[in-house]
Amino acid sequence: MKLTAKATGAVLATAAALLISTAGAFAYDGTNCKAPGNCWEPKPGYPEKVKGSKYDPKHDPEELAKQGNSIKEMEARNAARTKHFQETGEWVYDVDKL
Amino acid sequence: MNGSTSIGRLASASCVALAVCGLLGSSVAVANDKLIELSESNENYVMPGKDYTGDNYSKLDQINTDNVKDLKVSWTFSTGLLNGHEGTPLVVDGVMYINSSFPNNVYALDLDNPGKIKWQYKPKQNPAARSVACCDLVNRGLAYWPGDDKTPALIISNQLDGNVVALKAEDGSLYWKVENSDIKVGSTLTVAPYVVKDLVIVGSSGAELGVRGYATAYNAHDGSQVWRMYATGPDADIGIGDDFNKDNPQYGQKGLGLATWEGDAWKIGGGTNWGWYAYDPDLELLYYGSGNPSPWNETMRPGDNKWTMTMMARDIDSGELKWGYQKTPHDEWDYAGVNVMMLSDQKDKDGNMRKLVTHPDRNGIIYTLDRTNGDLVSADFLDDTVNVWTHVDMKTGIPVRDPEYGTRMDHKGKDICPSAMGYHDQAHDSYDPEKELFYLAINHICMDWEPFMLPYRAGQFFVGATLSMYPGPKGDRQNYLGLGQVKAYNAISGKYDWSVMERFAAWGGTLATAGDLVFYGTLDGYFKARNSANGELLWKFKMPSGAIGYPMTYEHDGTQYVGIYYGVGGWPGVGLVFDLDDPTAGLGAVGAFRNLQNWTQQGGGLLVFSLNGKGPYDDPTLDEYTTEIIRQ
Repeated sequence: MKLTAKATGAVLATAAALLISTAGAFAYDGTNCKAPGNCWEPKPGYPEKVKGSKYDPKHDPEELAKQGNSIKEMEARNAARTKHFQETGEWVYDVDKL
Repeated sequence: MNGSTSIGRLASASCVALAVCGLLGSSVAVANDKLIELSESNENYVMPGKDYTGDNYSKLDQINTDNVKDLKVSWTFSTGLLNGHEGTPLVVDGVMYINSSFPNNVYALDLDNPGKIKWQYKPKQNPAARSVACCDLVNRGLAYWPGDDKTPALIISNQLDGNVVALKAEDGSLYWKVENSDIKVGSTLTVAPYVVKDLVIVGSSGAELGVRGYATAYNAHDGSQVWRMYATGPDADIGIGDDFNKDNPQYGQKGLGLATWEGDAWKIGGGTNWGWYAYDPDLELLYYGSGNPSPWNETMRPGDNKWTMTMMARDIDSGELKWGYQKTPHDEWDYAGVNVMMLSDQKDKDGNMRKLVTHPDRNGIIYTLDRTNGDLVSADFLDDTVNVWTHVDMKTGIPVRDPEYGTRMDHKGKDICPSAMGYHDQAHDSYDPEKELFYLAINHICMDWEPFMLPYRAGQFFVGATLSMYPGPKGDRQNYLGLGQVKAYNAISGKYDWSVMERFAAWGGTLATAGDLVFYGTLDGYFKARNSANGELLWKFKMPSGAIGYPMTYEHDGTQYVGIYYGVGGWPGVGLVFDLDDPTAGLGAVGAFRNLQNWTQQGGGLLVFSLNGKGPYDDPTLDEYTTEIIRQ
């Protein structure tokens, strides 16, 4: 009897946990905000931070830097083109010919 | 006009009120006036959306509900290219300027004799640009800068390979050419440039390849960069200052371009802007929406992912962000927030005149905000079948999610409405200020969605989701038809005066006229005119190919013409264009549009209509090599 009660209790506990987790799985509705404009919450069973989790994107910092570097280089080439144009009135696209 | 007024009139009114514009020779007003003045003439069509309101409304009524049955082809032009033909031509001072798909040729035609090409610009581009375009090799149009005593009038064109070119409007010769985007990192250009004052505004594309979005202003005189603002990252990069969102602090203010991301994920965070712009010359604010965060796999980027998916209002001179309202925090569906912005002045429910901006979003919601400060005025579903949200909390501006239709790793979301293609995409819609109705070209597509993990490698696709798309609940899911709708909407009452189902998504957009007509092209190759008051179909014409651009109208020598590009493509056309069969290919569009090929094939060109086909060649001797006939 005691055993059964215990088992029932365990089952109930599990069921309750399931309920919570089910309810939780549907909990992120966007309305619980840490701060104005910051209302994201992890979905139940999913981490607050993905770093170190099985969902860690493991981004390579070198890859992440490529766009920023590319834009800097384009801006430098454009500035050289514009400068030449302002000085000479002639547009030369090929920066090697400037 | 019921209190509504064009931006041009607003500008004039403010000049009268101040009574100083002319006297003091305000450089701001003067710099704006030329393009505004040109846009007020029925003989011109000088920018995307027709004028700075972006309402694509014409006061021309020569073609109207009584005689539209007599609308016939006047003349046509083939661009010589296939793939999707988006946008619409410009007409300035009797010359039409035509854009095309990759490699982005530009053609100038004299309206007195459009058979003779006045000039053409055929850029040489690195063909590798094709491989990093997510959704066909499209381009949304050209911009015109009217010129001044220092610099000639210019036609500006954005190229898929990331270059921006300024061509002399007179002869098409290159005036300046700058690099805006680098295809080596997956960054391309499909957006139409936009001219305000002496600035050329250029957006960005590539969120499907992890490109961090930015908008740039160039000086029309010499191509020099005036400002460049990003969608994610540090406040300085985004253009966020002390007064950002001061009237709506609940939208969020400082630091969120970093705080709503984990680590450096914002560096490849998307938020590109490849849609449309609008501008208010009194407020000197530029309006546009930023796109989706990267990757599509939501689990890989915890956080609200600001300031992607945001309606933005930037000071035109400094680029500073005055207000920003994030429509879709932490996107889980690729609801790229780049859609059309249309300005209107209307009385709100309390009877107060408001300066408004209305924006039908991919996420299934059409937003109307006070364009002076970003106050939320209305947020209505584009269709009652939207299920990812329960509603928008008007006080906080938060869209309340229905978690059942969210997406996440190790889960396949089903029957999600709208799909990633949105209930509205790149269509440039119209607004009739007399009727106070917006004419919306709507999609009716839902989806299943399952994300997967993937690494980021600059220059490679960075999507991370597999999609199946199909008609929404009101369509025919067995036969994959009924994928679109066209609706007339009042932004204050939230009511739809009329709506009609279309076989395929109404992808291109609409034109409204004072002739009580609304025109639009369809993917299955029809050009249609409906009574804008009640939606009745009054006329249609079978084009050579489906339309993904929007119609325009102009008057020449006293005759009203209506023009539209044909040439199916874009995202809905990728299956047909690239000959794909796998229903999940083309980011899921191939399955949804499997039947498109039964109504249309590729094309590329322009059709111009007038009443009874009246046109330049009514005198058949025009443009003849000789009229002399030698008879034996």
